[in-house]
Amino acid sequence: MGYIELNVLNNQSSLAMGIDLGTTNSLAAVWKDGRPIIVHPESKSGSVPSVIHFPTNGSSPKVGHSGRDHAAASPERTLFSVKRLMGRPEADLQDELARVPFPVSEGDDGVLRVDVDGRKFTPQELSALILNRVHDHGCRALSGEKPDRVVITVPAYFDDAQRQATRDAARLAGLDVLRIVNEPTAACLAYGLDQEKTGTVVVYDLGGGTFDVSVLSIADGVFKVLSTAGDTHLGGDDFDHALVGLIVEGLKDDLSDEELKDPGFLTAARLSAERCKHALSSDPQAELHMVLASRGITFHRTVTRGEFEALIQPLVERTIDRCRRALSDAGVETGDIEEVVMVGGSTRVPLVQSAVESFFGRIPHTELNPDEVVALGAAIQAHILIGGSRDMLLLDVIPLSLGLETVGGAISKLVTRNSTIPCSVTEGFTTYADNQTGIDFHVVQGEREMVSDCRSLAKFQLKGIPPMPAGMARVAVRFHVDADGLLTVSAREESTGASTRVEVEPMSGLSDEEVERMLLSSVEHAEEDFAVRRAADLVTEIGTMRTATERSLESVREHLDKETLEDIEVALKSSQEAATSGADGAQLQAVRDELERATLPLASLLMDDVARAALSGKRLEDV
Amino acid sequence: MIACPHCGVELETPLGCGACQVPLELTADPDPFSLTGISPSFNLDVEDLRARHLKISRWIHPDYFASSLELRALAESNTGRLNGAIEALEEPLRRADHLIGGLGGPSEAEVNDMPQVFLMEVLEWNEALEEARAAEAGSAKREAAFKLKSDLAEQRAARIDSIAELLHPLPEPKSEALSAARRELNAVRYLDRVLLELESLRLADAEAR
Repeated sequence: MGYIELNVLNNQSSLAMGIDLGTTNSLAAVWKDGRPIIVHPESKSGSVPSVIHFPTNGSSPKVGHSGRDHAAASPERTLFSVKRLMGRPEADLQDELARVPFPVSEGDDGVLRVDVDGRKFTPQELSALILNRVHDHGCRALSGEKPDRVVITVPAYFDDAQRQATRDAARLAGLDVLRIVNEPTAACLAYGLDQEKTGTVVVYDLGGGTFDVSVLSIADGVFKVLSTAGDTHLGGDDFDHALVGLIVEGLKDDLSDEELKDPGFLTAARLSAERCKHALSSDPQAELHMVLASRGITFHRTVTRGEFEALIQPLVERTIDRCRRALSDAGVETGDIEEVVMVGGSTRVPLVQSAVESFFGRIPHTELNPDEVVALGAAIQAHILIGGSRDMLLLDVIPLSLGLETVGGAISKLVTRNSTIPCSVTEGFTTYADNQTGIDFHVVQGEREMVSDCRSLAKFQLKGIPPMPAGMARVAVRFHVDADGLLTVSAREESTGASTRVEVEPMSGLSDEEVERMLLSSVEHAEEDFAVRRAADLVTEIGTMRTATERSLESVREHLDKETLEDIEVALKSSQEAATSGADGAQLQAVRDELERATLPLASLLMDDVARAALSGKRLEDV
Repeated sequence: MIACPHCGVELETPLGCGACQVPLELTADPDPFSLTGISPSFNLDVEDLRARHLKISRWIHPDYFASSLELRALAESNTGRLNGAIEALEEPLRRADHLIGGLGGPSEAEVNDMPQVFLMEVLEWNEALEEARAAEAGSAKREAAFKLKSDLAEQRAARIDSIAELLHPLPEPKSEALSAARRELNAVRYLDRVLLELESLRLADAEAR
């Protein structure tokens, strides 16, 4: 008996899920029967578009394929590329915000909010909706198992704030995050396992919105990242944008500046650019075709692959620059690289493949599905983390240096980029004035020499230093970067033991309290509120309609045929039942619509009556 | 050498036990050499260091202890220390810094009697740097400053060699060799600053073009 109870209590799934939360698409994978597999319902593909549509009637947001279908028809209510907004302040995003057809603004807490019908959503909340959707999608293939423990991937080049935002999104989705893993690292894990490869490998990962390149060494099951470089604002979206530029150029005489920024226009242009780009991956030329029904304008243009390549050449060149830096940071040369693994949908672009091939001097490896390999790697790491295997080990690095502001806005770096994580570093600081009793610390992340060029992560103060001459106090500041790449800072004055510990909460991030509050009043709750209000409104409306119908029936009953009368009686009865039995919004809406339909003949009869009464005794020309 | 409290095996590192494959509570705050179980030396084998890094990681990495809160925290903290120590030892200047400090030698700030010859050179470099900064991109003055780079790099390599000689075999604690090594180390740090400035000027030039 006790045995059964134990089982009931201990109902945690024995699986853990790997989730690739992408800019354009998201996927889930689990470890099953000795290998990672993408999980998805039968008859559906694994990838879930990272798109959220908020229906006008306030019903539940549609996420994934059903959300994406609305992009063209209702651009302001269909949100995409949310990942680009994660953990970023408005000031960093001027270019991208001009491109998205939905309003985005920064809150007082420095976190962006997307506005839908006056309801504001943080990128974290929106990502939580996507995570929920992809998690459900995956669970449907697991016959009832619901693995709540997950590994989520992020671009390797994500900074502390962006990682923190991703972790908050998972918390909002009710998931237990075992680990945040870098996308190229996850991809390498899947590739290495699949190919039983050893040696030095480069992962070139060009996704929808981000670019990463990582150099790894694989030996005896240990996957060690030697270096990583990238750009969190460079991806396939930018290729689309280059083609959108052609449309704008072609229509600038027909449309006003205002119209060229219109959400409907931008969305239609983006979708046709995307189609054209996909076609150009296999064809030497493709049509860039767009219909703007609202203005009766059709845009049509043939784009050759050469033209397209000229447009995206500078972007591709930027990725090669990053490759150069990753190699130099890893202390290797192109000749040392044994394999280049291509990850991300944008690596299907022929120019990308040829540029990578000519830089590294070898044909890149494209046998694994570039869309799936990251999720598969996340599932492997999830399997390791729940104790499934000790044969493999992943040693990852921090992508950007971490330091403290010193005098004059310069930076003292405590953790340099490409240090293996987790990583602890302690450095001594001292007071610069006599009898100084406190020291202010400003934690920054970035490679530049001056604070103003780096990302500001947190500010804190160490107090309680006893009065002593300048330079005598010994303050030990300890940076600990955990295995997720997240930083904790503590400071201690060593003669007195005065200490301060801060969990670094990025200055433009959600505080723990905010996350708690959002969990309580999550999007689901907001929907429930909306549904309750909607139902109440409908009950009132049905009541008014019933009263009016009953009163009118009195006067014109004899003019209605038997069928119509019966129809109305039935509708009245069922609407009364629905209104008093606590039916939900959808049911109420249905009976309300039915009542309206049934009473149409009555309404037109009344209109005729009213019209006759009004017209009687008036001359035709007075009407 | 201490023994593992669980199995009694002699430990290769205070961070964890290879036989039990678990992280262990640290009782002291050891320097990077003791932490990684490597005997203090300037000329250490970097390949050997990396192999040791992987070996110890396989015993104590937090990935293997995710299910136990307590062990996970210890694994996280010890692996953090391990990675910090490896990082310090891999880099020759930081390795020298730890060796000098560990033997009771002077700190960076405590050595301020740099040789006159070096100080004269510093003045020259500063002048060249200032002129280069004031000059236009691509001008002869700038190019002249960039030519300094190879001289500086050569001098840097020679000073590193001399540090290696001073620190091998390990000098007596608090000996004069430690002060000499610290002077060389300070000179290298200075050279690095000048080289970094020249490099950022060159990059700015390249970008402008």
